[in-house]
Amino acid sequence: MIKIQNLNAYYDDFHVLKNISLEVEKGQIVVMLGPNGHGKSTFLKSVCGLVKKMTGTISYKGKEISGLGAEKTVNMGITYIAENRELFPEMTVLENLKLGAYSRSARPFEKKNLEKVFSLFPRLKARQEQFASTMSGGEARMLAIARGLMSNAEVLAMDEPSLGLQPNLRIEVARIIKEINSEGITVLLVEQNIPQITALADKLYVLEEGRISFEGSKDEALGNAHLKEIFLGM
Amino acid sequence: MEHKRTAIILIIIWSIVAILPLFFGSTNFIMHILIMCLIWSVVASCWDLIMGFAGIFSFGQVAFFVIGSYSSAIISARFGVPPIFAVFMAGIISGLLGVLVGIPCLKLKGAYIALVTFAVHMILEPVLKGDIGRFIGTGGSRGILTIQPMNIFGYTFTSVQPIPYFYLILVVAIVCSAIIWFVIKSPWGTAFLALKDAETFATCLGVSAFKYKLMVFALTSFLTGMIGGFYAHYVGMLSTRMLGIDLFVTLMVILVIGGVGKFPGAVIGAFITIAINEILSPLGSYRPIILGAMVVILVLLLPDGIIGLIQKIMTKKEPMESSIEK
Amino acid sequence: MLTEIIDVIISGMINGSVYALMAVGLTLIYGVSKAFNFAYGSFYSMGGYLAFLVFGFAVLHHYLIVFCLAAPILFFFGYIIEKLLVAPLRKRDDWEVKVMMITLGLALFLDNSFQVVFGARMKSLPSILEGSFEAGDFILSYQDVVIFILSIGGILAFRWFLNNTRTGMAVRAVAQNPAGAEIVGIPKEFVFSATFAISTVMVGMGGILLAQKYFVTPDGGWDILVKSWVITAFGGMGSIRGSLYAAFIVGMLEAFVGWQFGMTWTLIALFAVLLTTLVIRPQGLMGKRG
Repeated sequence: MIKIQNLNAYYDDFHVLKNISLEVEKGQIVVMLGPNGHGKSTFLKSVCGLVKKMTGTISYKGKEISGLGAEKTVNMGITYIAENRELFPEMTVLENLKLGAYSRSARPFEKKNLEKVFSLFPRLKARQEQFASTMSGGEARMLAIARGLMSNAEVLAMDEPSLGLQPNLRIEVARIIKEINSEGITVLLVEQNIPQITALADKLYVLEEGRISFEGSKDEALGNAHLKEIFLGM
Repeated sequence: MEHKRTAIILIIIWSIVAILPLFFGSTNFIMHILIMCLIWSVVASCWDLIMGFAGIFSFGQVAFFVIGSYSSAIISARFGVPPIFAVFMAGIISGLLGVLVGIPCLKLKGAYIALVTFAVHMILEPVLKGDIGRFIGTGGSRGILTIQPMNIFGYTFTSVQPIPYFYLILVVAIVCSAIIWFVIKSPWGTAFLALKDAETFATCLGVSAFKYKLMVFALTSFLTGMIGGFYAHYVGMLSTRMLGIDLFVTLMVILVIGGVGKFPGAVIGAFITIAINEILSPLGSYRPIILGAMVVILVLLLPDGIIGLIQKIMTKKEPMESSIEK
Repeated sequence: MLTEIIDVIISGMINGSVYALMAVGLTLIYGVSKAFNFAYGSFYSMGGYLAFLVFGFAVLHHYLIVFCLAAPILFFFGYIIEKLLVAPLRKRDDWEVKVMMITLGLALFLDNSFQVVFGARMKSLPSILEGSFEAGDFILSYQDVVIFILSIGGILAFRWFLNNTRTGMAVRAVAQNPAGAEIVGIPKEFVFSATFAISTVMVGMGGILLAQKYFVTPDGGWDILVKSWVITAFGGMGSIRGSLYAAFIVGMLEAFVGWQFGMTWTLIALFAVLLTTLVIRPQGLMGKRG
């Protein structure tokens, strides 16, 4: 579904991503692990059209999407869910969700998606008139995911969805990711290492210093002594 | 290294300017234009120091110039102070006013500073024309029609014989540009660059943003006010017409052509702009239209001014190794 | 004495309402794109001249025609100006100064173009509605009532647009969180241009409304620029409600100072108020800190 070849990305003059090539198949959950500051976020943002300085090709359903910008990428069905949430603080939960469905391709499905999101996150339904700025960390995280779903995306690019959450909420996030995926949405997510979320992966990548240092299934990762030690902590 | 280059450029500029009377000395009209170029080069350099280097969006430079020129004219007329001293007192007055405007400004963010300083400019006209102005001797809307010419040790500089005054102003301009050069070179300049890049970080390191910014307010308004005094004693009459937006934009063209934050650029810009202005003057009311259009076009096409253009050409010639290594 | 005071209050209210309309436009551009428009006053004069042109040439001499023609022209003009002059600068680090400079150049260009085309002499516009309501010494002209209703109506309509339309919500989204807006696929560049265009319409309309009372002159916009600025800073940049309150306070202050001390003092008084506010509360009446 997504095919990335020789992706290089830069932040100012700093070369963040070096020759990344990978493939994501439809309906998969692909997890990319890696230490902080090694380029995971930049990777996701490049895929979602949020990085300006980059080279290489990213094709989505056979079409080249690199350099199109977020507006077009979202419209084609790839949505980024930010690590620091990026909500609209002085708008209500409902308004935030409605803005999630801003792109042209999402508008016809706004009602349907709103129902879906509310059934997935009953808490948000109860608080739909509340300002986003008044929400707790966990609720804001749910709202960010919900807003991403409103875009009617076929691919959700999630940036550390469990960052800063308590263990019980992490389990909740993992459950939601699984449920989203079971409805046919491809999930591409980056994490440091959260066992509950790594466990969902159909395919694992490890990003170190801007390069992919491992690629394989969960089982293969467990068999890799280096990874086991560094990331899986087992 | 960069400071050295700036100094060399300055020396070249001033040496060329110093020999200009050899060619144009016989034409009073051109000498007059050259004196104006020198005066505006000082004002524009000060503006560049506060806006380009210190990063303070001050839009009150013309106001301080006018305050200085009126102060000097009034002090010399009312209290019989010789113009050469009146000019310094005028500088001190506008420097003090600069500090007074600067204190509230420095707590504010960029756009608000622009507002307050520009408001000083806007209210100056009603103040000078109104009752307060008449009380201190601005002559109201008529302006001041007779101002004592500059004289030093009994020698009187007149606008009929502009060459001596040209050299007097040249000396003043050289001193001003030397001061500005020293400021940029000194820890002040470094502090400003640090403050512009990361204000919070710099303040954490103990760079007092407030102190440095207030000092630059004081210095630039002092120099601007002083040169305003020299202007007053040269042209011999003042009116609030100087506060029109025309002159304000002319100064801006100087900065745009020279390059904001590219110091000797303002000096070069002054000569080019004033020359263009004179060339355009037969066009009458079309001149400000062209001037306005010029700002628009230059900001878009030549965003870093002439100095920026030169730098670009120079760096293109050098090998690109450094950027690749990163 | 009493009727005089009432007159002053009415005049303050009427001017305040138009100032509010214009200040909301200015605070909108600043709130959304952080751009600072020095040519705002020239857009005000442009509104007045557009109305003057319509009255000179159009077959039907009616304000309805003026509004119907001026609004799209102003919108289009503002949109083009943003696209051509402001948008290309946004990529630069020092774009804030550059935008101030380019709009200042634009202001000089426009003002002097007006002067060349229309002459330096003041132009007057017919009153939008003749007649007045009289009760003893008390006189309230219908013109004032219409101006008040139109400006307040304009602000309310704009509020409705912000709260209830998709584009309006996108505008608020960009103002509150540009990065978030980009993520959900809002075209930021379009929002910047659109808000600039809307603000041009607002100030131009203000120009048409006030020109009936105060004439149109080539450089009459500078006063308006400073007043709108003072109001937005006083009310808190980016806060629409703040500018609304501030506009009425400024309108009243101006009317009373002008009545008691003469018009030359109004600008000075405004400046004093502005400085005091900024020293005590730098973020303005309703602005957010930082």
